[in-house]
Amino acid sequence: MQAFGKSQGGTRREDIRFLTGQGRYLADIAPANALHAVFLRAPVAHARITTLDVDDARALPGIRAIITGADLIAMGITASVYAITLPDTRGGKGAAPHRPILAHDTLRHVGEPVALVVADTREAAMDALDAITLDYDDLPVSLSLTPGGPEIHPEAPGNLALDWRLGAADAVDAAFAKAAHITKLDVRQNRVTAAPIEPRAAMAEWDGTRLHMAFNGQGVWRLKSELAAALALDPENVHVTTPDVGGGFGMKVMVYPEHYALAAAARQIGQPILWVAERGESIASDNGARDLSSTAELAFDADHKIIGYRVRSRVNLGAYNSQFGQNIQTVLFSKVLTGVYDIPAAEMHVQAVYTNTTPVDAYRGAGRPEAVTLLERTLDMAARELGVSPFELRARNVIAPDKLPYKTPMGETIDVGEFARLLHRARDLGDAAGFPARRAASAEKGLLRGMGLAYYVEAILGDTSENAALEFTEDGRVRLFVGTQSNGQGHETVFARYLADLTGIEEELIEIVQGDSDLIARGGGTGGSRSVTVQSTATFQMTKTMVAAFADFLARHTGAGPFEFESGIFAAPGTNQRFTLLEAAEIARREGSPDLLRHDARITLDDRCYPNGAHLCEVEIDPETGALRLDRYLAVDDFGNLMHPMLAEGQVHGGIAQGFGQAVLEDLALDEDGQILSGSFMDYAMPRASDLPMIGFESVPVPSKNNPLGMKGCGEAGTVGALAALSNAALDALWDQGVRHVDMPLTPQRIWGWLQQAKAQA
Amino acid sequence: MYNFDFVKPSSIADAVAALAGEDAQPLSGGQTLIPSMKARLNAPGTLVSLTGIPELVGVCREGDMLVIGAATTHAQVARDAAADFPGLAALAGQIGDPAVRNRGTIGGSLANNDPSACYPAAALGTGATIVTDRREIGADDYFQGMFTTALEEGEIITAVRFPIPQASAYAKFVQPASRFALTAAFVARFESGVRVAITGASENGVFRWAEAEAALSSDFSADAIAGLACSPDEMIADLHGTAAYRAHLVGVMTRRAVAAAG
Repeated sequence: MQAFGKSQGGTRREDIRFLTGQGRYLADIAPANALHAVFLRAPVAHARITTLDVDDARALPGIRAIITGADLIAMGITASVYAITLPDTRGGKGAAPHRPILAHDTLRHVGEPVALVVADTREAAMDALDAITLDYDDLPVSLSLTPGGPEIHPEAPGNLALDWRLGAADAVDAAFAKAAHITKLDVRQNRVTAAPIEPRAAMAEWDGTRLHMAFNGQGVWRLKSELAAALALDPENVHVTTPDVGGGFGMKVMVYPEHYALAAAARQIGQPILWVAERGESIASDNGARDLSSTAELAFDADHKIIGYRVRSRVNLGAYNSQFGQNIQTVLFSKVLTGVYDIPAAEMHVQAVYTNTTPVDAYRGAGRPEAVTLLERTLDMAARELGVSPFELRARNVIAPDKLPYKTPMGETIDVGEFARLLHRARDLGDAAGFPARRAASAEKGLLRGMGLAYYVEAILGDTSENAALEFTEDGRVRLFVGTQSNGQGHETVFARYLADLTGIEEELIEIVQGDSDLIARGGGTGGSRSVTVQSTATFQMTKTMVAAFADFLARHTGAGPFEFESGIFAAPGTNQRFTLLEAAEIARREGSPDLLRHDARITLDDRCYPNGAHLCEVEIDPETGALRLDRYLAVDDFGNLMHPMLAEGQVHGGIAQGFGQAVLEDLALDEDGQILSGSFMDYAMPRASDLPMIGFESVPVPSKNNPLGMKGCGEAGTVGALAALSNAALDALWDQGVRHVDMPLTPQRIWGWLQQAKAQA
Repeated sequence: MYNFDFVKPSSIADAVAALAGEDAQPLSGGQTLIPSMKARLNAPGTLVSLTGIPELVGVCREGDMLVIGAATTHAQVARDAAADFPGLAALAGQIGDPAVRNRGTIGGSLANNDPSACYPAAALGTGATIVTDRREIGADDYFQGMFTTALEEGEIITAVRFPIPQASAYAKFVQPASRFALTAAFVARFESGVRVAITGASENGVFRWAEAEAALSSDFSADAIAGLACSPDEMIADLHGTAAYRAHLVGVMTRRAVAAAG
């Protein structure tokens, strides 16, 4: 049996469902008798509640329940919304202030849930919202990433939630002391929101004993354990499911306050309850993304070799710890801190700060786009200061093949990679040599052309373990139970095809089962670009044990053997005994061997893998208006072996589009009171197809040694590389006009403003 | 959305009568009104649809005028005005997206007078006449500030009469999220002179840029206004553009419109 099958291209089988309106999203699965839930949310960023009176609202027609924070406490539900903390360099752990499910004494960010209204219709629930009295005394609002603003939690003096360091500061100091050149750069990561096409939603129902919650998440198991704990239920009595999901991007990984409140309400009312967020509600209440300010310093020796790297970041956590909030710009950032470069000494120091904003958590890349953007932008600046080409400076510093596996100063071990090869491939394929001519042609039209390069590395994250189970059904089909969770990426296609390749079972006979905590005991969900790598490894392992079991069985059954399995057929050499897997399973069923009708495997990857590659793009800027147009984009990626090239390329396209969104368009802007200025798509600019050119993509696989399939993961890579490539291109376009610094988002008015500033200073 | 009553009269007289009712509001394409109702920002008691009145729909050449029924969609204007008044057709074809263009109407846009809408620039930039159920209003009198017009309570636009210019063009710099006009200029050259109307920029809504009109009337070229600057006073300042940026764009977009008009 070959680990790597003949998987190639082809269309996605779920697309017929999605594109013809047959997808079953959360709002589609609610039963006809479902009640409708809406949340009263904090209208201000920081205030002490003086009155929360729901009596008039409760008396309105069609209102089935109104639940406040005090009601939850009266029900015995006092849980804090789930979040992890990290060790703090000052001792102990990072701050862990209570995050109530429903705010009941203090409002700490606009959009924070305050009360849950359940009604026969959505309209009735909305009418009740109007009838609730919420009075409050304003408190001073803190939005600054500099510690010391108005206090939000007594557990975090100065709002400093976490002080976190990693790396050898002494070695870095020593490197800087003997540096021939030091480049220092400040980089701001703008705050964005994931804005998936399907907003967050959930449906809760209670049958008298068991709670069922359907939610559009990225894995069902954490929510199951959290709801069981918060509602004091036996975990056996909590069933969590996930139907089709219209995009998550990391934002839908987490347990949110709404989940607990809906579960409590369903148990109280005994009738299904559906909640579907509106777009503005999503923008206000979904975990925010990025939102940090960093300073990077690179120390070079006289040969332009990097000898030290120092990073300082101030990170917005929002008003509370979200599930992984403390982990993103610290641990995850550190995984790729030094990129693909041979940097002997590096260290980072992060201060994570509470502000009166919606909590901030993972978003496509989660710490790695931020780290790569910082490093790649600083390297670009260094190349300018040192007067060398950005290709040359990178080529001089990438980890040489003979140094692999390479342990970074952050403790990561990069197994394989051919970084210089990909770098030069991008240079050649992207026709960097032709750039001056293209720049001149742009100048003829009055436009400023810039070229931007970034070399990214990813570290595949999430649970390194996964399970696969296969069940032969009585109608001659199979069901493959997976622990991952498609959010629309095409998992059904790739998992079914891979199983078909491994087993010879026709794809049409394979059903992929996901997102059901009753049917699948555990799993890692989707996130960290893990799904196809870990799930396929589990499927491969499961298939190996299954084939071995059937080979033994067939030998006993026929008296022939030993049986070998090839191209989907069990055959005993020298005999005419030949069976497909489905035939073998049917014999096992007939002969009363039910143990052969279900096979399980659980695997743990040896280590992480490190997708990497070069992004090369060119932008044209109209100096009169500041408008930036992306003209060319090329990604040369090492994703290891590709399970499904078309899906991988699609992930690159989507990732780059999302990166373009943050780099050029998106800005979750707040006013000084913490009110959201870009609270709808009228002001929050999403990327459109017409904003993007055709994206060039080339796969240069260097198979990973840390999993048997040699895969590396591709889900986040596009975003990880795009932010730096686009920022570098914009600065390159503007440099000759005297602009020396740019930051995302690269909006027309900001670019025009930088040009004006440069003109004034000239 | 709150509950409301809905009527769809088939004559202007019936529509006017229905609008005399309490809390009645006219509904044309609904591309602004419906979203604001969904957001519960607007709660009419009765919606009086104007899209079932045949005489309000159509594009018709009358001598040197192009007359457009108030309930004519942007898509139809983009199509049917192309031969007679390409500058206007091009403007209509840039409004919103295909869904908006197939529902939204010229009358609805002019009645709403959003400071970032496109049509007010064409109406003011040509000196169009706004025809209502009871009178005719010249564009110079019609636009009275952001979301404010000369329309009286219950008065509905029935048609817009555009003088057809010798040359015209609309240059629009889009707000990146909404793709409304962040700042846009409509330039029209007539035998009698040049008119320049700016939308998206001013806190007072669409306005004529008199200095540019004077300069262009004697020399219709982008160079003629190269040195002209529009004051940032009373310009809109928001997330997408400072007052100074918008004032700057007024010049840029006007020059581009002139160049495009040729």
